[in-house]
Amino acid sequence: MSDQNPLHNDDPRLEQAAATDESLIRAHDKASAGAPDLHAAYRLLPLALLFIFSGLIFYGGTYLNRYSAHFSGEVFDERQLPGGEVQVAQVDPIALGKRQYTLACVTCHMPNGQGLPTVYPSLVDSEWVNGSEERLIRIVLHGLKGPVTVKGETFNAAAMPAFGQVPTSGYNWSDERIAAVLTYIRQEWGNEAAPIETATVAAIRSQIPARTEWSEAELLAIP
Amino acid sequence: MTTFSSPASAEVSEIDRSARWPLAFLIFASLGWLVASGVLALLNTLQILNPAFLADCEWLTFGRLQAIQESAFLYGWAVNAALAVGLWILVRLSAAPLRGGNFVAVGAVFWSLGLLLGLVGIATGHMSSFALFQLPAYIQPLMLAAFAAMAAPGVLAWTGRRERATFASQWYIVAALFLFPWAFSVAQVMLLFAPVRGVLQPIIATWYGQNFLSLFLGPVAVAALYYLLPKIKGQVLPAYDFAPYGFWALLIFSSWMGGRHLIGGPVPVWLPTVAIAAASMALIHHIVIGLNLRSLFAPGASLVLKFAAAGFAAYLLAGLVDAVFSMRGVALITHFTYFEQAQLQLFLAAFSLIIFAAIYYLGPRLLGVAWPSTTLIRAHFLASLIGFPVLVLVLALAGWRQGLELLDAEISLRAIAAHTRPWLQVAAAAQALLLFGNLTLFAHFARLLCAQRSGESLAQFRQPQALEATAS
Repeated sequence: MSDQNPLHNDDPRLEQAAATDESLIRAHDKASAGAPDLHAAYRLLPLALLFIFSGLIFYGGTYLNRYSAHFSGEVFDERQLPGGEVQVAQVDPIALGKRQYTLACVTCHMPNGQGLPTVYPSLVDSEWVNGSEERLIRIVLHGLKGPVTVKGETFNAAAMPAFGQVPTSGYNWSDERIAAVLTYIRQEWGNEAAPIETATVAAIRSQIPARTEWSEAELLAIP
Repeated sequence: MTTFSSPASAEVSEIDRSARWPLAFLIFASLGWLVASGVLALLNTLQILNPAFLADCEWLTFGRLQAIQESAFLYGWAVNAALAVGLWILVRLSAAPLRGGNFVAVGAVFWSLGLLLGLVGIATGHMSSFALFQLPAYIQPLMLAAFAAMAAPGVLAWTGRRERATFASQWYIVAALFLFPWAFSVAQVMLLFAPVRGVLQPIIATWYGQNFLSLFLGPVAVAALYYLLPKIKGQVLPAYDFAPYGFWALLIFSSWMGGRHLIGGPVPVWLPTVAIAAASMALIHHIVIGLNLRSLFAPGASLVLKFAAAGFAAYLLAGLVDAVFSMRGVALITHFTYFEQAQLQLFLAAFSLIIFAAIYYLGPRLLGVAWPSTTLIRAHFLASLIGFPVLVLVLALAGWRQGLELLDAEISLRAIAAHTRPWLQVAAAAQALLLFGNLTLFAHFARLLCAQRSGESLAQFRQPQALEATAS
């Protein structure tokens, strides 16, 4: 048929058109109504497309339902659901305390906790470390200034900085971190004192307004 | 109704003459940008293979050159060519001469000038930080205004059409003309002029990139296929009554697909999930146009239809790859590798091949004279038919291997880079071949512009017949 058809021309320099634009629009407008089903013979194509599209919609809907976390703005893992129990990560106070210790304390008190004779007091077997929780927490919260006696040795120029939230101080350790680092030094290097709870630190912090460093005399007045 | 006095004037009529010079300029500019971006792409790949190459030239360091190349390709070649083809089809189907052709010409000049300034801006370090949207902020409003000037005559051609009935090509092009400025202006405001905060930015950026590709470039390419196939074959498209479903499926679903680039990112998890589901739902569009346009795969001797068929195959494959490779299990491997480059290149190859087909078809009609050389067209076809698949394939294979090795902590980054090297060498060769092909089209179109128009050349156009309405 195409042999006699003068419209088909294979020269790529000029691609001949086989239909006018006007008839293109009209013929397709007619076709867009679909063929009339005169003999009640169901066309297979619409049925097949219905099944395929339904399958895609079913798949998409299922996927969305399963991995959308109910469209919550606070879920970042597709396997989680919003509003579930809040998981608080359990932190080992010794591990956290050791990290805090190596971040700051280690500079003066040394990795072995022995400090430097006549300059920085030792933490090992120290009556301050293993003794009253109240005093120990206050030292770390607000610092200690002036002479202090540790294990019978007097340190004249002690200047322990404050690690709690103190104005003009660079350190803002949370109650949890202070409790962790104190628990660490109370149970390391042969020390065997009881751990210090986060709640205890929080209680002391809330009792005392912001203040400067403690002196030895002030601390000894506290039980 | 216009009455045609001679066969020639039916195929090359008032309608084409009214659009001749504005659209010829658009096509010429787009092909110029295509060749320029091809040179830049080759240089960019050579920089990956040899990092010292051009490293001392501040304007052409790797990141800037990549941004210049991408912008020249997308905003130089793709937008200009899409507008030229889209406007021509709209004007032909409206059966009335182009109104406001001067707006197209002025818009085209300012678009290319703005782009040139933008590229210099990128070279001096003023680019934005968003993929597919890298032009400097100060040039973007000008681009939007230039686009509006070029698109307005298209809308006039739509509202002033002679036939009340409409054809699928018109739906896709008119939608594209409205959807691009929508996405473009929203992205400009929300990313550049009143930027949203932090993590919202990549969400907007991927949304814009997806819309630019699948709601502007994609629809124009699909419209060209819907026009070329029945026009050349002279047959009514089968299952045409389903065409509206394909159109609406694209419009509804593809805008949601941008979030698949954010899998594993710091965004609420429903965004990537919706994107993955939407990528599958968008297959409805591909199935419908696959049914409508399936006779493209029997292109006969027509080179235009061969170009179109190659582009159509790439378009369908790109849709399928988007749906399959955005699944979380697979994205784990392909994310952040050359594989994503391969996906982008596959889509852009589809777009380019289809637009090449349209340019080869409309060129003689727009300018009233046949192409000067058969050899140049065949050379371009051969270069494209080898260049695009090789480029996409080697990038995909390199990306897959890269992805597998990145998951293995034992393999050093240096070793992974060394393993992708042979693949990238092949990619550079493919880019050189594509550059050669595109250069032939550029030279060919320049010759077509200079060719003598005469009554003799018009007589070569044959009078087309009316299409018989044989609904299937």
